Amino acid sequence: MSILETESLTRHYGARRGIEAVNLSVREGSLFGFLGPNGAGKTTTIRVLLGLLSPSSGGAKIFGLDCWHQSSQIKHEVGYIPGDVRLHSWLDGNTALKLWGRIRRRDLLPEGRRLADRFSLDLSVKVRKMSRGMRQKLGLILALAHRPRLLILDEPTVTLDPLMQATFLEHLRELASAGHTVFFSSHTLAEVESLCDRVAMIRDGKIVANESLAELRAHAGHEVTIRWREPLAVGIAPPPALSITTREPLLWHGRLDGPLEPFIAWLAGKPVEDLHLGRPDLEALFRHFYAPQDAA
Amino acid sequence: MNWGLMLKAAREMWPATLMCGGLLFGVETVMAYVLPTFQAQFSNGMLQIEFVQSLVGAMLGVDASEAMGPQAFMAFPWVHPVVLSLIWAHAMICCTRMPAGEIDRGTIDLTLTLPVTRWTVLRSETIVWIAAGAIVLLSGFAGYMLGRSFVGPDSRPDIGRTLIVLANCFCLYLAVGGLAWCVSACFDRRGPALAVMFMILLASFLLNFLGPFWDVADRLSFLGPLHYYLPMVILRDGVIPWNNLAVLLTVAALLWTAAGIIFNRRDICTV
Repeated sequence: MSILETESLTRHYGARRGIEAVNLSVREGSLFGFLGPNGAGKTTTIRVLLGLLSPSSGGAKIFGLDCWHQSSQIKHEVGYIPGDVRLHSWLDGNTALKLWGRIRRRDLLPEGRRLADRFSLDLSVKVRKMSRGMRQKLGLILALAHRPRLLILDEPTVTLDPLMQATFLEHLRELASAGHTVFFSSHTLAEVESLCDRVAMIRDGKIVANESLAELRAHAGHEVTIRWREPLAVGIAPPPALSITTREPLLWHGRLDGPLEPFIAWLAGKPVEDLHLGRPDLEALFRHFYAPQDAA
Repeated sequence: MNWGLMLKAAREMWPATLMCGGLLFGVETVMAYVLPTFQAQFSNGMLQIEFVQSLVGAMLGVDASEAMGPQAFMAFPWVHPVVLSLIWAHAMICCTRMPAGEIDRGTIDLTLTLPVTRWTVLRSETIVWIAAGAIVLLSGFAGYMLGRSFVGPDSRPDIGRTLIVLANCFCLYLAVGGLAWCVSACFDRRGPALAVMFMILLASFLLNFLGPFWDVADRLSFLGPLHYYLPMVILRDGVIPWNNLAVLLTVAALLWTAAGIIFNRRDICTV
């Protein structure tokens, strides 16, 4: 069942591009990665989902409710954290939890304190005296303390140290296994790869891929490295499915698009000393999707 | 209305309320104490000069060539530019805080991703602002009463009439605040919102001040809120200016509603 859906969601800023016909569907209980470089439209999409921006055309729904017209109802069950949390300077963690609890009409202190222990945050420190990382942790606690059905995270780990990133990602995995849904926007591909089970990639405001990680990798083919025992005879060309990126007398490196069998058959009888076949990591996938743009 | 939002608004507004209320208390105390001592010599001396008559008339909104008794003279503490500046400054500080101020600081992102409608945010903020405004004006009133207690009984203005002046002043405060909400709802930055408010209020003040000297300004003075604020007439005649109160309250309500509609429909861009 889809908990979050967008249909031809478009948002322009006057003549400037925002997002164009974005179609997304996020299943309940999934960890959904939303990848794209800066300026691709990730934050615009998220701000439309949160009812901060109205769509120019198309629509977005969360829990089956319209993100613009029924935004306040949706937010009972949504937690949100931006990449750079900005909070009132006079707040401290305890005050923030009490205040947020009053606004949400539920007691957030017990869960907030538990999260503060986990993320090693002193709740008595004023925001004005916090580092960016500490502010980010407080933002995470405020987004998580009401145990939302859907978490929308816009590059949430940018200011966290690696240890805290690991703790936070572990917490997200636990939430997902407990049935919560996570919409995780990032350009840190490694963390999305380690966290998410499904990924949408956005480029220039348009979705260029929306698949499971496995499907995405399959579409992107294989990374191939062949080490030859001796140079191949002149005139032997690689099979059509193999795009060679490095060709030295004893070393070929490239990407294989298509099934493996014809490639293995082509290798038979050739002086192969070593062969490495692997799925590309997300970094490579990302480069693959961005290659045409970069080349241009 | 949401208690959490109201607490947040109160926490944000109390420094300005404390500052403006404290200053207004002090200014009113000093004026209410000092002015009666000048009343006789001012009425008999300064007010005989035509230019001073025009100047005082411009400030009080009435013909100052008439004999100015102690009651009417005590209108000065309610029309002095310092007093009006403090009252307006409080309205501007509080009402440009949301949404322009919060968008400017980026804090609105988390506020508006809580389960509240934008109307609820505006209503909660407005209730706290009205309460804060009442505190500021009551501080001024308390200062006025304190200063008045040190002067002779003949120079003491009637409390009932002073309360009517206070009501008129509060309606003026609401009208200025309504305008500030409306301007704030149109801006992403607090600085420009405050600048626009300052320009509008300055224009209004000048319009009212130049009215007695310049026909064009006189004809247009009904557009400014000060046209509907006449403490001297109230203190002199003791009548409740229902029409003026109604105009100011209607303007406040219309501008606040416009602010709500704009805020409810607008996009929020903090990045």
